[in-house]
Amino acid sequence: MAGYIIKRLVSAIPVLLGISIIVFLIMAMIPGDPATAILGSYATPENVEKLNRDLGLDKPLVHRYFIWLGNMLQGDFGRSFSLNRAVIHEVMERFNATLILAGTSFVICSVLGVAAGTVSAARQYGLADKAITFSVLLGISIPSFFLGMMMILVFAVNLRWLPVSGMWPIYGARDLSSLISHLTLPALVLSVVATGVIARLSRSAMLEVLRQDFIRTARAKGVHERSVIWRHALRAAMVSIIPVLGIQAGFVLSGAVYIEIVFQWPGVGRMLVDAILKRDILLVQGGVVFVAACYVMFNIAVDVAQSLLDPRIKT
Amino acid sequence: MNFLHLLARNRLALAGLIVMLLIVLLALITPLLPLADPDVTNTAERFKRPFEDNAMLGTDHLGRDLLSRLLWGGRLSLAVGFASALIAAVIGATIGIVAGFYGGRTDNVIMRGVDMLMAFPYILLALAIVAALGPGLINALIAVAAVNIPFFARNIRGVTVSIAHREFVDAARLSGMSDARIILTEVLPNVIPVIVIAMSTTVGWMILETAGLSFLGLGSQPPQADLGSMLGEARSALITNPHTSIVPGAMILVIVMAINLLGDGVRDALDPRLRSGALSRPMPNTLVRRKDPVPETKTDALLELNGLKTQFHSNGRIHKAVGGVGLCVEAGECVGIIGESGSGKSVTALSVMGLVASPPGVITAGAVHFAGQELLGAPYETLRRLRGDRVAYIFQDPQATLHPLYTVGRQLVEAIRAHHPTSRANAHERAVELLRSVRIPNAEMRIDSYPHEMSGGMRQRVGIAMALANDPDLIIADEPTTALDVTVQAQILSLLSDLQRERGLAIIFITHDFGVVAQLCNRVAVMYAGRIVEEGPTDAILNSPAHPYTARLMACVPELGRGRRELAAIPGLPPVLDMLPQGCAFADRCHRVQDACRTGNISLSAIDDERAVRCIFPETPAMDKAQ
Amino acid sequence: MTNALKVSELSKTFAVGKRLFGPPQAHVRAVQPVTLTVRKGETLGIVGESGCGKSTLARMLVGLLEPSGGQIEIEGEPLDTANPATFGRKIQYVFQDPISSLNPRKTIRQIMEAPLRHLHGMSKERRARRISEIFSAVNLREDFLDRYPHEFSGGQAQRIGIGRALAADARILILDEPVSALDVSVQAQVLNLLSDLKAKFDLTYLFISHDLAVVEAVSDRVAVLYFGSVVEIGPAEQVFSKPRHPYTKLLADSAPVVGRPLTAPEGRETELPDPLNPPGGCAFCARCPRALNECATERPALARDGSNRMIACLNPY
Repeated sequence: MAGYIIKRLVSAIPVLLGISIIVFLIMAMIPGDPATAILGSYATPENVEKLNRDLGLDKPLVHRYFIWLGNMLQGDFGRSFSLNRAVIHEVMERFNATLILAGTSFVICSVLGVAAGTVSAARQYGLADKAITFSVLLGISIPSFFLGMMMILVFAVNLRWLPVSGMWPIYGARDLSSLISHLTLPALVLSVVATGVIARLSRSAMLEVLRQDFIRTARAKGVHERSVIWRHALRAAMVSIIPVLGIQAGFVLSGAVYIEIVFQWPGVGRMLVDAILKRDILLVQGGVVFVAACYVMFNIAVDVAQSLLDPRIKT
Repeated sequence: MNFLHLLARNRLALAGLIVMLLIVLLALITPLLPLADPDVTNTAERFKRPFEDNAMLGTDHLGRDLLSRLLWGGRLSLAVGFASALIAAVIGATIGIVAGFYGGRTDNVIMRGVDMLMAFPYILLALAIVAALGPGLINALIAVAAVNIPFFARNIRGVTVSIAHREFVDAARLSGMSDARIILTEVLPNVIPVIVIAMSTTVGWMILETAGLSFLGLGSQPPQADLGSMLGEARSALITNPHTSIVPGAMILVIVMAINLLGDGVRDALDPRLRSGALSRPMPNTLVRRKDPVPETKTDALLELNGLKTQFHSNGRIHKAVGGVGLCVEAGECVGIIGESGSGKSVTALSVMGLVASPPGVITAGAVHFAGQELLGAPYETLRRLRGDRVAYIFQDPQATLHPLYTVGRQLVEAIRAHHPTSRANAHERAVELLRSVRIPNAEMRIDSYPHEMSGGMRQRVGIAMALANDPDLIIADEPTTALDVTVQAQILSLLSDLQRERGLAIIFITHDFGVVAQLCNRVAVMYAGRIVEEGPTDAILNSPAHPYTARLMACVPELGRGRRELAAIPGLPPVLDMLPQGCAFADRCHRVQDACRTGNISLSAIDDERAVRCIFPETPAMDKAQ
Repeated sequence: MTNALKVSELSKTFAVGKRLFGPPQAHVRAVQPVTLTVRKGETLGIVGESGCGKSTLARMLVGLLEPSGGQIEIEGEPLDTANPATFGRKIQYVFQDPISSLNPRKTIRQIMEAPLRHLHGMSKERRARRISEIFSAVNLREDFLDRYPHEFSGGQAQRIGIGRALAADARILILDEPVSALDVSVQAQVLNLLSDLKAKFDLTYLFISHDLAVVEAVSDRVAVLYFGSVVEIGPAEQVFSKPRHPYTKLLADSAPVVGRPLTAPEGRETELPDPLNPPGGCAFCARCPRALNECATERPALARDGSNRMIACLNPY
């Protein structure tokens, strides 16, 4: 098993390099001069040239890439001009907040989605199945930012059950209960779409598995139906559900951008949108590479989980 | 035609289609409608409620008419969503088809690139692209399309690979067709339904994504507005004037919901598996719907089938798989059921313990008595207690019938503990014993193997061990050696035969092979088109078949050791089971047919005290010899 | 009699565990170097169990798979193995699964026309004439031409497949398990049709099957394949009635025969050798009841036994 994990980690290296190249190339496409953007349009040509030299922008593209990569490997993602702060510090801090939000959502959507899909398949064409199928359809059709706004209107403004926005109260203690009350709405709203997608997929994966011969074997052995569904069928269905959980984790991370804007959550998504609007390229670059790298690591964890589940995968 | 018909039958999809048509129509005629200019601001008129003055949906924070902005914005959102879906589908499908068709290194390089793009949470890539190109609707469109290309490419590649390996592609090569022509005329027509499905299920998503980018202020730029940017601009007034948010938000919801309903309908109509209703889940028991009175048991046999009828109901068709089968099995006896595919032999066997997949299977008549107890009407728990305990099954394909993710030991232990609550350690010991009894070498080691680590013959031995787990009285073996090689088959057959003698087991052995029946079974029943046409002691039937079908079927089978020869064939095809003819189902192919064969119900009647035949002009031993 | 087909030292090796760059992790020999001749007008049967390489061999013979070594001669001329189209005019293939060998989205006419157009460049009228000739030869009605493959039963679809192979006007047909997907009663119809066609069009067949009785019934000579090599070749009426190679004998004894009592022909653990670790000597050695000491180290070559049989065994029956 350890060998397999190492193998997967090694195989991630080209992916990470590829990610850095893609991001670097996209950023290099930006028209205009970052120095001018940083210094403003009143900068003197001398200052612009000096800054360009400091940023290494006078060198050829390949050269610049390796400098950038080398700096990154040493933890230096550059400085954000709009925040006047090291990019890595800003990104790490913001990513923490995103991780709390997206992590909670991911747990909610995995558990809820798989359970709903399984129940739906086990009771195919029954009332539960119809109710779940319809809710899922609604869930994947509603824009999460719109749903978030409506939730704020209902639960925060009208009913006053939960805070409107933010991660912590402006005044008062930053304790777990206040975090939970701030987290509840955004985490739930963020999980809606992914729950729907996972439930849909789990349902069809379960239906596919329930038609297999080994399910008939289990029934012919006299195994109880409960155990046929939740042990035999779900275990086999998980083989096709787990990779989707990995993909959905990416969708949850992506959806977090909207939710962070709507709920004023101090996460990395909001930071990126602000940075793009301010054309703070280094911050965008650093943020994207960092989050993508974390996602790659997460997917390795998914692969390892998959190999634990399925003995047919060679470890 | 067929497709539209199927789509229209799905009421939700039809509703989606109608709503979508309305929306598209509205979008098309928007420029012709007498609407206020969507971009003209009038701060004096700001934040009007719906139906206030002449603004039907009110006005926004700059006093612009919301209805007008909604229609123009919706038009824009639709156009951008469809355009990005189309771009992503065309580029993604092209990449996928090329990678999947050529395979090898081309495939490897392309798919590594695709994996690289999929390693980003999609919005990061979209944000990076927008950051590079600058905010704007067209750039958002490009970003959304680019982000979705890998999804299409991967999906289409998978389908292409499976099609490129189908035999008809090889056949096209042998017909002298070039690669380009094969892609265009053989592969593409089979991939297009998948592309359409993928598109119809992602258009909604694409509309949401472009709206999302606009919502973030990265898509359409003021004063032009799509639905997303309307919502984004309204957000600051969410609490004071919620209608400015609700109007565009609800519009997005309606559009995407309609598209998704329609998309699901398109998928269901195009996917052949869904079309045939194959994706319904079999229930734990076969559905029993008997109208006629349940026949009483007449004998004291271990198992007695009486007038069993099992049908498959799907898409308004009734497929009569088993049309009234009666059969007795005494304790310790081995009865063979022989027939071609579609003769109903397997369905008969599965009906005994209610294991016919249902839907679509329905048992419509007859009775099954096991040790005097009627099973078809019995509650689930009664059947479950008998399954695997008193009556066990061995199935055809040992690869598919064992659970791929559990060790064989665990599956054996489960079989034991489902009926005899005992400690895991005890059950484990018993499982090792069982593996030894089916002559698996190194049973202590093999018990921790997964099915995929075993050969076909070994897996089938595990299947037999599992059937023996609780010392059943009856084993129903459904073509247990058909999937095996001939040398392995011989071993499995001799194992079964030994076990049967040692343990006094009753076996129902289903097969299409006369040689197997002859070697293993005391008695045999021959099935044709869902009914038993002849029944009796194996030797008697093999030596002097009475039913013309039996006689001619035996003549078709080449026998080893006789060298090269002309084979006797039966002309014609077996009848279709949803349109069975009157009278004898074999009449059209029979050389002894007379007019009387085509009317009424021909019953299975005894020709001596051990044999019965369903024929009014049976072969006579004398004639048989003359032939 | 002249040779219709001659195969010399034909072999196939598959790479296992391919990597993006660099050599693959291992190689598997699916077909050991095989040398065979098929005489004109003859039916050569090839039998073997799953994994013995019979389908790989067949696919190489029609150019669907590139051989790793050796060469193929048709009527004395070596074949260019690079282009399937040059194969197509000389040697054709009938597939095991009749339904999946027909494109579900084309009409039967389109399927039948493909070889006529692309191999022979026939005009529309000539194609129509040729198709109706072929259809009458394979006993199919011409109104089937405008239907789609899913409307046909297995037996009918296999006739269409045979018709397509005939359309290419090749003299040699490779029949890869042509009846194993069919029911017994239909199987006999197709086998008899094949035998009629052979006489009528003067064809040469290579008939591949796992069913010993079928192979024996249709073949002039039979070759037995085990683990990628031919272990015995001989006249059909002798190979199974008087087997000489122990594997052939095992096969013959295993086939269920009416009137023969059931015995397990082998007591030993019987697994095929691991293709990744092929044995040094005879591949059958571990299962062989007559194995000698040298069988484990020495690989026997296929040699004529004085009569018309060839056997690859150090200690034959």
